[in-house]
Amino acid sequence: MKLEARGVTKYFGSDSHKLQALGGIDLEVEAGDFVCLVGPSGCGKSTFLRIVAGLDSPDDGQILFDGRRVTETGPERIMVFQEGALFPWLTVQDNVEFGLKMAGLPREQRSKIAKRYLDMMQLSKFAGYYTYQLSTGMKQRVAIARALVMDPDVLLMDEPFAALDEQTRNLLLVEMQLVWEKTKKTILFVTHNIEEAAVLGTKIAVFGSRPSVIRKEIVNDLPRPRAGGDDSLGALKGVITAALRDPGEPG
Amino acid sequence: MKYLPHRVAFYAGIIAVWQLVSMAGVWPSNVFPSPYEVAEDLAYGATDGGLFYGIATSMWRLLVGLGIAIGGGVILGVLMARVESINQTVGSLVLGLQSIPSIAWVPLAILWYGLSDAGIIFVVAIGAIFAVTINTYTGVKNIDPHFIEAARNMGAKGTQLVFGVLLPAAFPYMITGFKQGWAFAWRGVIGAELLFAFLGLGHLLYAARSLTDVSYVIAIMLVIMGIGLAVDGVVFRRAEDKVMSRWGLR
Repeated sequence: MKLEARGVTKYFGSDSHKLQALGGIDLEVEAGDFVCLVGPSGCGKSTFLRIVAGLDSPDDGQILFDGRRVTETGPERIMVFQEGALFPWLTVQDNVEFGLKMAGLPREQRSKIAKRYLDMMQLSKFAGYYTYQLSTGMKQRVAIARALVMDPDVLLMDEPFAALDEQTRNLLLVEMQLVWEKTKKTILFVTHNIEEAAVLGTKIAVFGSRPSVIRKEIVNDLPRPRAGGDDSLGALKGVITAALRDPGEPG
Repeated sequence: MKYLPHRVAFYAGIIAVWQLVSMAGVWPSNVFPSPYEVAEDLAYGATDGGLFYGIATSMWRLLVGLGIAIGGGVILGVLMARVESINQTVGSLVLGLQSIPSIAWVPLAILWYGLSDAGIIFVVAIGAIFAVTINTYTGVKNIDPHFIEAARNMGAKGTQLVFGVLLPAAFPYMITGFKQGWAFAWRGVIGAELLFAFLGLGHLLYAARSLTDVSYVIAIMLVIMGIGLAVDGVVFRRAEDKVMSRWGLR
């Protein structure tokens, strides 16, 4: 598995009032990488992730997946949305099985696969619940399980922990590392939170804004497991903060 | 249920005033019957079976008509929401047709279908279909785009997308459409039967009027009201509550 972005450019707005959202993004992701895209809100990092998912198309440049150009969405690149995008008319179990059902897998096989990831995300007790009965943190666990059952080559996560309280987020940061180690997934993780990026990433790509480009790529080989608030993260967070600070932009 | 005593007192009051007015003898009882006479006619209609036969006839016409309206309305609504050219063409016509009261279709129905069940069912269906269409359209339009993206991302296509995501996601709006459709259908079936004068509760009303049987007219009106209340307040309200809470909208 190899994922490459080459000069990915995207404009928003009408022809007369164009706004460049992405100013030529180049990025290489190798199998097993946990790449965190960090940048200020509205810098286009989520747009970039959507383009990788095939839910949006670039105006220029391309995404190459194992050398083939990405033109549409597909289950080898599964997205975890910020709000989870869980289906409220389905139980946790059925939400997690959704993609497998679309793929035409028989019931026993679906529930066997789902069980593995429900267990991994500690959701087994909640299999029969509907989403309105779940906390925000639980919903994100379900969203992650729903993505993992698809066994995607790349997991695309769009600020999945942004709406969580501090404690729940810290817990999920630890679990996310365990999931990554257990499943050996390649992960592209968008966040505006510097600490989240420092805790999770093997590689951190710092986005600048207007138009956004990758300002700096930082390799992060601090020992795991890491946790939010670790003193050892201090220096790395300093480097990310410095890279985020744009000399040309006031405030 | 906090206001149950208020409610009981209110209705008891109405019946008491009604009884007093009828006893005062301002109008003869064949013009303004007492509640007792109306109750007597209700009981007579029930034992005689005519009332139940009327209800059953109206109901099956309504159910067939409403079924057609729901089937057609959902298909039309989904197409309008997903295909802009259909929305711009058919959609504008739907808005226009919706402003025609279902009763206004009766002359056309009689000319096309004669005095038959099919004519009444046509009036019911055409009266209800646009409410279902418009609500389904609104529902599909208001679906969180992330639902559709997530489903497509996980490999859902075509009919899987329609039945697995679009319809369930739009269902809270659709059920409102069904409820409105039912209300139009119920008014439509009674109105059409009055004019077709061909069996059913509406025809009973017409027949009672012909016999100047005021108390039976009122008795049938009470039955029409009772059925309307029961379906609206019990069947649809419960279904709506359940859907709204499960979908996390309440």
